[in-house]
Amino acid sequence: MSVVDHNPIDVLPRISEAEVGDYLALLKPRVMSLVIFTAMVGFFIAPGHVHPVIAFTSILCIAVGAGASGAMNMAYEGDIDALMSRTANRPIPRGRITQGEAMAFGLILSFFSVLTLGILVNLLAGALLAFTIFFYVVVYTMWLKRWTAQNIVIGGAAGALPPVVAWAAATGSLSMEPLLLFLIIFFWTPPHFWALALFRSDDYARAGVPMLPVVAGPDATRLQILLYTIVLVAIAVAPWPLGYFDAVYGVTSLVLGAGMMWLAIEVYRHREGKAALRATRRLFAFSILYLFALFATLLLEVVVRAVAPVFG
Amino acid sequence: MDDNRKPEGIVLTEAQKRSRRQRSIAIALALGVLVVLFFAVTLVKGPAVLVRPL
Repeated sequence: MSVVDHNPIDVLPRISEAEVGDYLALLKPRVMSLVIFTAMVGFFIAPGHVHPVIAFTSILCIAVGAGASGAMNMAYEGDIDALMSRTANRPIPRGRITQGEAMAFGLILSFFSVLTLGILVNLLAGALLAFTIFFYVVVYTMWLKRWTAQNIVIGGAAGALPPVVAWAAATGSLSMEPLLLFLIIFFWTPPHFWALALFRSDDYARAGVPMLPVVAGPDATRLQILLYTIVLVAIAVAPWPLGYFDAVYGVTSLVLGAGMMWLAIEVYRHREGKAALRATRRLFAFSILYLFALFATLLLEVVVRAVAPVFG
Repeated sequence: MDDNRKPEGIVLTEAQKRSRRQRSIAIALALGVLVVLFFAVTLVKGPAVLVRPL
């Protein structure tokens, strides 16, 4: 009689066939591209001159830190990703990468991105990047996401921090401008994600994620989208009269804000059928354009100011 | 000596070998980028690279 049920040699260990592309998918490239863009804005609107190598290092570290957060988020959410059509094609639900491998990948990238930013750029930026990763992975992914309908409201702080980290990397300090950028992204997050959640609510309900449309219903979500959009538009315009950003930004913000308001009202008005679905999809798509165009205006102004003296 | 004996232990399939090689190259490139980055920043900041603002 044997104390083991089977010969362990008969059980082959799992050998990975994951390719580089699978690991790149763990970094959430689309989210990362928005993080890189907002971080670049935070970096380049900061006062003073920074050497291009330091600028490149800062943006690279922030991008890798964001990717690491994405990998750890996917590692923790492998079970619910498999249940949602939007995420079922990710590397973990497809069986390309295990949750343990993804977590190890994310932890290693987090360690190196924070360490590199702290050593090569400055400690404040490194500490803020570490806090951002911690907030996204532990506070949002592990704690809030499956617990409260306010998950993306509070968790939105993690997505709003990259321009703050970038400003800290450029200046070694913090001031009002990066906090305004933080507030814009923070209040942009709820209308953006709740618009998505409205037309993906079946997915979230199946996975047991308490998104607002699942918990409070679509009508309450439409009202919350409208209220948050009002606050967002006001906060996005505020830096102009307060004197932090100039008139070009202010007018752009007003025009784009009018678009956001119009679409949020449309979402609030149309509650049934194809018109409701079309309204939420339009708001979701426009919200991405809104944030991109708002930040692009700030970046463009920096470029114009830098190039203008060359042309007299 | 018997040259026709079967290999012992785990034998990787072609797909496993290919993906492992891909991953190894990616890790090597990433480490290379890290080395170049540290070298470049050391040149930019000079010998006082560790003297930095908080």
